[in-house]
Amino acid sequence: MHKYRTKLIIILAAVGLSLYFLYPTYRDYDLHRQASQLRGADSVQFIEQNEAEIRENRSKRIKLGLDLQGGMRVVLEVNVLKLIEDLAKNKDDVFTQIVKEVREEAKLSDESPVIIMRRKFEERQIRMSRYYGNLRDDNDRVTADLENESKKAIDRAIEIVGNRVDQYGVSEPSIQKLGGTRINVELPGVSKEGEVRQLLQGTALLEFKLLKDPEVAYSVMKAIDAALAAGTVDTTDTTAAAALDLSADTTKISTPDGELTPAQFAEKHPFFAIALISQQNPGEAMVAEENRDRIRRWLDREDVKRVIPNDVQFIWSAKPQIVEGGKKYYTLYPVKRSPELTGGVVTTAQATLDPSYNQPIVTMEMNSDGSREWARITGANVGKRIAIVLDDAVFSAPVVRGKIPGGHSQIEGMDNLDEARLLEIVLKAGALPAPVEIIEQRSVGPSLGEDSIRSGLITSAVATVLTMFFMLLYYRTGGNVANIALILCLLFLLSVLAAFQGTLTLPGIAGIILTLAVAVDANVLIYERIREEVLTGKTFRASIDAGYDKAWSAILDSNVTTFITGIILYQFGSGPVQGFALTLMIGIVASMFTAIFVTHAIFGIMTDVFNKQPNFG
Amino acid sequence: MRFLGKTNIDFMSKRRFWYSVSLVLIAAGIISLVVKGFHLGTDFLGGTELIVKFQQPVSISEVRTAMEQAGYGNAEIKTFGSDTDILIRTPEQREGLTASDQMRKALAERFPGNPQTVLKEDKIGPKIGAELRKDAVLAIIASLIAIWAYLWLRFKFVYGFGAVASLLHDVLVVLGLVSIFDGLLSLEIDQNMIAAFLTLVGTSVNDTVVIFDRIRENQKIFKTMPLEQLMNKSVNETLSRTIITNGTIFAVLLVLLIFGGEVTRGFAFALTVGAIVGTYSTVYIASSLVLEYTNWTKSKAQLVS
Repeated sequence: MHKYRTKLIIILAAVGLSLYFLYPTYRDYDLHRQASQLRGADSVQFIEQNEAEIRENRSKRIKLGLDLQGGMRVVLEVNVLKLIEDLAKNKDDVFTQIVKEVREEAKLSDESPVIIMRRKFEERQIRMSRYYGNLRDDNDRVTADLENESKKAIDRAIEIVGNRVDQYGVSEPSIQKLGGTRINVELPGVSKEGEVRQLLQGTALLEFKLLKDPEVAYSVMKAIDAALAAGTVDTTDTTAAAALDLSADTTKISTPDGELTPAQFAEKHPFFAIALISQQNPGEAMVAEENRDRIRRWLDREDVKRVIPNDVQFIWSAKPQIVEGGKKYYTLYPVKRSPELTGGVVTTAQATLDPSYNQPIVTMEMNSDGSREWARITGANVGKRIAIVLDDAVFSAPVVRGKIPGGHSQIEGMDNLDEARLLEIVLKAGALPAPVEIIEQRSVGPSLGEDSIRSGLITSAVATVLTMFFMLLYYRTGGNVANIALILCLLFLLSVLAAFQGTLTLPGIAGIILTLAVAVDANVLIYERIREEVLTGKTFRASIDAGYDKAWSAILDSNVTTFITGIILYQFGSGPVQGFALTLMIGIVASMFTAIFVTHAIFGIMTDVFNKQPNFG
Repeated sequence: MRFLGKTNIDFMSKRRFWYSVSLVLIAAGIISLVVKGFHLGTDFLGGTELIVKFQQPVSISEVRTAMEQAGYGNAEIKTFGSDTDILIRTPEQREGLTASDQMRKALAERFPGNPQTVLKEDKIGPKIGAELRKDAVLAIIASLIAIWAYLWLRFKFVYGFGAVASLLHDVLVVLGLVSIFDGLLSLEIDQNMIAAFLTLVGTSVNDTVVIFDRIRENQKIFKTMPLEQLMNKSVNETLSRTIITNGTIFAVLLVLLIFGGEVTRGFAFALTVGAIVGTYSTVYIASSLVLEYTNWTKSKAQLVS
């Protein structure tokens, strides 16, 4: 037995680890099932009670691809030509003609429109600086600048799209840069196409909104709190206690009620229990990420809306603040509903380091109309805060230090240069839009997704049972052991998928089925070899070892070649096909472990420890 | 239980006959490819594809009339799995990808008492279609080259050549068969089909590697045995495994073909056919070509001496 201890430990540890990784997937399914059995108010209450757990498991489960759960995938491309057309100055007929030619050529070409345009200019022997940059700039310089601008445009577009999708409230969206000028957006569970198109393509709206005075803000929030306490509000002990716990080290709640237990406090003050008034800035509230949806729901209720004055609007911060312990808090800003100024007046923005203090700052210029307005607004509101709002999300809320004449403003107080760069992107978004167009859109309705899951599961189950039944019939004990290995292989494959937050797609299920075939093949190779070795007259124990030994090179070489095709599929394929390649590659590695290592250990223990002679049929 | 005892079948001597079978299959496939080609999916073509579920069954001709009135006379219309599910596809690209909006509106107006839900909607711009086509071809070529390189490293140059030639053969035969049967089974070349082709390449090379591995092993033991005899011996020794593994894969794929539904049908078809073709090409293309090459170099060497 001693000989097998390490092997047994390795196998058991692997099994334990995979169960650990798969548990959230199971729990998520379980919670989902429980919630779907409840109706109406019960189901809302169940979700509110278990919000933290649902969120936790949801983030760790195996994700389903859009083809299985329904949803929309959109590929956006930044229209570089449109961008460089917008950037040009002194446009004339020659320029328009060139743009027209570039547009025709770009349709069929892989080259960047900037390069094509440069060629067109050079063919006509016109310097690009006639339309771009300074007159002295040579074509290399102008080309580089334009390429740089299109690179910035994609970042701007990602920021704008990401911000909007976040405000729209899609769960688990994915927004990724794809190559140089494309954005891949995946929106699970979304099917309203018109809204999505608006979401992704509309022009970004930048606004400057005045924050409400802290006293006014506090009284509005107090009225909301009272309205909620009076109405039937379903709060729960767990979240309130958790929120209060945190409030002890981050913010303090100032109420006239004196000492209350967390539960009592949550009952009396449902709003303040989870919307914590910030101490440094008493005009705003901090809300933990998991409570954001609840506050959103509350602010939407009719009885709550009634107590909010008409000119007050609540807007969330675009990014969360991360406090000690890694918890994320969003800020809720009460602002004046009508904007002071909209972003069309911003002509440029630049993130830099303040030379004298070495602090990150953002400078901003405005056109003459804007500057005049800006001077009046800042002059009338010295000491107050103005929120910079892009598409209904606050990116910064600086304090006005004094009247700003001439439109040249400077924003300070960023923690680092990245934050400053983000603000630059936001300020520019209002002035220089990043024109994007939808070049690919796929949507799968939820019912087709369910059908696909069902047929995928049926197929996998039938295929697995059929294979296992055959193995048992043909190889007897050997088949039994191979079947154990097969089940372990499936377990490992799924847990790796869960651990690395992979996505299961329909082709992915096909990949799993193929993996089972690969796993079975390894055992067939070994068993056939063992049968051959037995026929040559070797002892049983020696035949087993020889079988494993000799089958090894064939298994290795054939699996490596399959793995190679997997890598290539992953490289060249897109979306769903990558899912197939991913499960195939994980499956090959898992199957080599189970079909060789695990089965060999089992046979070893059988023969050496229990003195049994396994039957290979 | 065992299906086969020790066999001693002379596989290699019949290789000329199987060359002609392969040639006939490939020729038939190429004729079909040239004459009627194959259906490219919306993935590769660009355009709009819409799958709509009606509450009650509708007739294709009525849907066609609705499409013609909306200005999509060139649309392809067919049922998708059941009478109530209709697939509409048009290569047309309207500004802002709005073709499907217009198509859906036309359906809603034509069938007011028969509510529709959208099951699936794909809109692919022409540039993406062309890119995906290029990527698919590149993927297949790259995987063939990578397999050649690996087998060259592990065996010999000519073994890599034999394996890749047999894979090319498999891809060509299956592509031809897809073209021949595309009307009957409503098959089309889309991204899933490309995944199927690459999988087919993977399983077929598996078979080849197992037999090559046995040849490599036997070469070390029987140093003087002629290659033809050695190959026969190796194929016979691995025959049992070949039948069991491929039989299992075949059964699994058959399940996928029957239960998998409309979405995976093309995928399952290509793999099922590929499993059969891949098994025989291992012996009659991959190994046979290695044998032909070895015989050829030997006879050349004898002529010189």
